Amino acid sequence: MDQERIGGDGFAFEGNWRDYAPIAFTNLLLTIVTLGIYRFWATTRTRRYLWANTRFIDDRLEWTGTGKELFLGFLMVLALIGLPFLFLQFGAQALVLQGHGGMAAILTLAAFVTIFYMVGLARFRALRYRLSRTWWHGIRGGSDDQGFGYGISYMWKSAVGSLALGLLVPWSMMSLWNERWNKMSFGPHSFESAGDHGPTFRRFLLFYLLPILLFVGGGAMVAMAGFPGQDGAGSRMAGAIFGIIAFVLTFYLGLGLIALAFYASFFREAVEGLSLTGLDFHFYARTKDWIWLFLGDIALVLCTIGIGSIFLQYRHWKFFVTHMGVTGTIYTDELTQSQTKTSRHGEGLLDALDVGAF
Amino acid sequence: MSDFRLWHYDGASAVRRNVLLRTAGTGFVLEEPESGWTGLPIDWSDLTVIGLQDDRSAYGHKAIPGWRLGFSGEAPPDIAAHLPTGERYGRWIDRFGLWPAAGIFTVAAALIVWGALEAPAVIAPLVPQSWENRMGDAMVGDFGGRFCHTPAGDAALERLAARIDPGHEARDISLANIPMVNAVTLPGGRIILFDGLVQQAKSADEVAGVLGHELGHVRHRDTMTGLIRQLGLSVVLGGAGGNAGNYLNGVLSLSYGRGAESAADGVAIDQMRGAGISPAATAAFFDRIGGKDEGTEARAISWLSSHPLSAERRRRFAAAVEPETSYRPALDQAQWQALRASCASDPKVAKFWGKPF
Repeated sequence: MDQERIGGDGFAFEGNWRDYAPIAFTNLLLTIVTLGIYRFWATTRTRRYLWANTRFIDDRLEWTGTGKELFLGFLMVLALIGLPFLFLQFGAQALVLQGHGGMAAILTLAAFVTIFYMVGLARFRALRYRLSRTWWHGIRGGSDDQGFGYGISYMWKSAVGSLALGLLVPWSMMSLWNERWNKMSFGPHSFESAGDHGPTFRRFLLFYLLPILLFVGGGAMVAMAGFPGQDGAGSRMAGAIFGIIAFVLTFYLGLGLIALAFYASFFREAVEGLSLTGLDFHFYARTKDWIWLFLGDIALVLCTIGIGSIFLQYRHWKFFVTHMGVTGTIYTDELTQSQTKTSRHGEGLLDALDVGAF
Repeated sequence: MSDFRLWHYDGASAVRRNVLLRTAGTGFVLEEPESGWTGLPIDWSDLTVIGLQDDRSAYGHKAIPGWRLGFSGEAPPDIAAHLPTGERYGRWIDRFGLWPAAGIFTVAAALIVWGALEAPAVIAPLVPQSWENRMGDAMVGDFGGRFCHTPAGDAALERLAARIDPGHEARDISLANIPMVNAVTLPGGRIILFDGLVQQAKSADEVAGVLGHELGHVRHRDTMTGLIRQLGLSVVLGGAGGNAGNYLNGVLSLSYGRGAESAADGVAIDQMRGAGISPAATAAFFDRIGGKDEGTEARAISWLSSHPLSAERRRRFAAAVEPETSYRPALDQAQWQALRASCASDPKVAKFWGKPF
């Protein structure tokens, strides 16, 4: 009984939006009347519901993060980063006005580099924070790594990724994903992440092909539209205008779709490479599923004049969970408590910079 | 002891236990009959709520991370009586109830926003003038070399300043080589006229009116008020992603509010009356840049965007003209021409587009 063999579908979402609606609407109300300050507690309530209705294998997840720790983290970020940057900004303006443009440029560059580093650090620590507040069978996740090294990796890998006309972006994304997850653990077990960027590369290349195809195709279309219209310049003009509009639409829609297709493939490969002791994780959403997700989002927000956006977090979590899968074996008696450090009053500084963690 | 079954994790391993609860003293002991496992004694007061939803209840332990106890459905009364109740919206809100708390927050939020808008006018006069001066000097410096200087132009500007500002309330009045119809008051009592305004004006009297208006902002320390207000709002709204924005643009677009603008107009009229300069030209200036010939002149009339022009303001200047007074022009023709030529004939002045701000 201490061993669970799992088939294809170890994850399930068992909530429904009618149960979530009272949480969403009261969150909205309280966030408005507190000038936004309640949003930390709102996030916590939402996550508590989402986690509590997510079944992993045989039991539900638990979220034990609190609004207070998110709020304190926010205050710390404000004091330690927000204020210095405010002064830096004012200072740089004053320097420029007084003619010390070079000095201002150096300061601004330093600020930019710092922010760049912080984004990587924050991404790492957000994942760490979420794992450390996620419980299953009375066991939590976490990481003993503070993420400072990851911040450096994030800087140089992102920089390298943009070299060679951005052709290395899939490599840099996957490599960072692996680096992040390889430092995480659940209970006594480390995650192992060996995502391969290779299979995602074909779709990434479409980014380069699409504009070329479109220019050739669009040019041909404009020419064709003009050609038979010998009865007058007007129809030729209309044809050309139509061609240009179609071209622009296809361009943006096309790039958006390719980005989505790439991301769908990337996320499948990334999760596919992820394992935890005897468990292998899978992600089944295809490009089509992502398109439906976003079309649904847009319809939801538009049809409710924006109020529907309070359900986006719910929708995205449900999408994520219902497409997650896990196979393998886990021995619950070997899954002992995590010994990773968590800060006494919640978390370290940047856990509050809660950028998209996964 | 009832046969009510609960589930339990001890927080040390992930093994799920199917337990019975036996009360003992001020707490209880958990026992799993099938395996003969018995837990440590637990005090009721150490229980915390992990989650209560529908018919599922889960409790934790204050001191043992991961220790969990839960059940489905209703607990028997002898157990239920000891269980803690959970937080719903957060401790403070639960204490008052959702709607009373929302009401209290609404009132508090309204007070905070009102305070953020009103407090600066109270705080600004308390800021030592020397701080404000230092701040203004640090901000402006030499304005990137954009100040126009010619001997005749400087003399004309000095003459104009002496007439409108005989008490030297403004610490510095300068002309900047910027082709915008604008004039700004910066912290530390510094007024900067833009060359665009001087070129747009038909006479020195018009410039005198604008200068008098800016002097009003200096006298009432409106710039400091505006800065504090902007800072305060960015802190209050910092939760909504505070962005301090571009400082210079911020100063340029500081709007002081209707009351402050009206008061500054009052100062302008007073100063012009004291100097014997007719306000008629200023009224005409408002009329010209505000209205009819829309789209003709360069429409970068920024002074207008920060100084909303109403017919009422124009009428006020027009009404201040006293028919029996004999007015003298703000500058004589030679001085006026020198002022207008100042930027064009200063060889050392930096071009507006020459370097980035």
